[in-house]
Amino acid sequence: MKSPQKSPFKPALDHLHRYLSGYVHLSRTEFNSLLPYLEIREFDKKVQVVKLGEVENYINIVAQGIVRKYLPLKKEEVTVQLATEGHIVHSELSFYNRAPSATVIGTIEPVILISISYDNLQLVYEHFPKAERLGRLLVSDLFIKKDFRYFNQIQRSTRERFMDYVRTHPHMLQRVPQKYIASYLNIKPETFSRLKHLLQPARKAK
Amino acid sequence: MLDTLRQYVSRYVALTNEEFALLAQMLEIRNFDKKQQLIKVGEVETCLNFVVKGLVRKYFFKGRTEVITQIAREGDIISSSVSFLSGAPSSYIIETLEPSTFLSISKAQVEQLYRDHPKIERLGRMIITHFFLQKEEWEYECIRANTRERFVRFVENNNDLVQRVPQKYLASYLNMKPETFSRLKHLLQARTPGAGRG
Repeated sequence: MKSPQKSPFKPALDHLHRYLSGYVHLSRTEFNSLLPYLEIREFDKKVQVVKLGEVENYINIVAQGIVRKYLPLKKEEVTVQLATEGHIVHSELSFYNRAPSATVIGTIEPVILISISYDNLQLVYEHFPKAERLGRLLVSDLFIKKDFRYFNQIQRSTRERFMDYVRTHPHMLQRVPQKYIASYLNIKPETFSRLKHLLQPARKAK
Repeated sequence: MLDTLRQYVSRYVALTNEEFALLAQMLEIRNFDKKQQLIKVGEVETCLNFVVKGLVRKYFFKGRTEVITQIAREGDIISSSVSFLSGAPSSYIIETLEPSTFLSISKAQVEQLYRDHPKIERLGRMIITHFFLQKEEWEYECIRANTRERFVRFVENNNDLVQRVPQKYLASYLNMKPETFSRLKHLLQARTPGAGRG
């Protein structure tokens, strides 16, 4: 385990500090006292961070890179999350229930995660009075986001879902293989290609 | 009436009698006839409701179709939870299916309890985490399981609801056509001649 205070990770840790302070104000000293509970984990591209059937032992925030969470089915893989810098990702059912994971978490690019283990999280809840509030507000926010995505999937057309995503995640099309984004948006790969061509009619002249 | 709530709470944290009393004195008893709405689309949810007696459904409209996302019975909590947590207008309607009695607590009171009692804040965190995990589980179930598997699993775990809830609502909850639900129900009864037990 690397020491989180070491400098290459400072920008990521500063980001984490700001992110958490968005929920509950944490002074520099308070944030620093949390650091011994955290781990910095580095992964190559295209490796599995959590395998199918393994028990998830961490909550992670992505400091660098892109992670894909998916359900491996018989004939396909269904992408349920594409997490990039600043996003929280883990196999939450497995983490909280201490049960085998039904989802795989795999890297797309080389990835750095800032992680807290299940046991350390319990220690943090015991020792830091502010942690309860932080945890509550964080989970509330994840819950709200999940509902928002659910509504989007149901209420919006394929085209609207595509346009929304491209507008709000302009870099993802360059960084993530198209089939993964298509799966995440629940759009057939052929349809996704067609919609992508629609995006750039002006450049046809080149 | 408070016993079932106490049981519910003790699944998450062990409150002392004094702590539980603090929570209990904030509760309001609310009674509704059947087919009454607790909240409409566009209203802001101010309550968490614990079902003491009755049956309630939560749904939204997709075009003209009702999509049911929760059916709550005795011992469940029902609320337009995203609106409750975010303060944004509700996208959901909550409506009773039977005459129902709730123990309700307002958002202002919940916030006050959180401020003054860390253990109740922990309770809040754990209940929200539970809601979150339920949503996650349901999402995976819909991705992984086909219509028939979803039906069988639901019936196995919720035989009480199969007896009490109109079929069209269960079909909506399970995201299948009422005809499909009907057909699967007959298949299941044919397969288990001892139907009616439990």
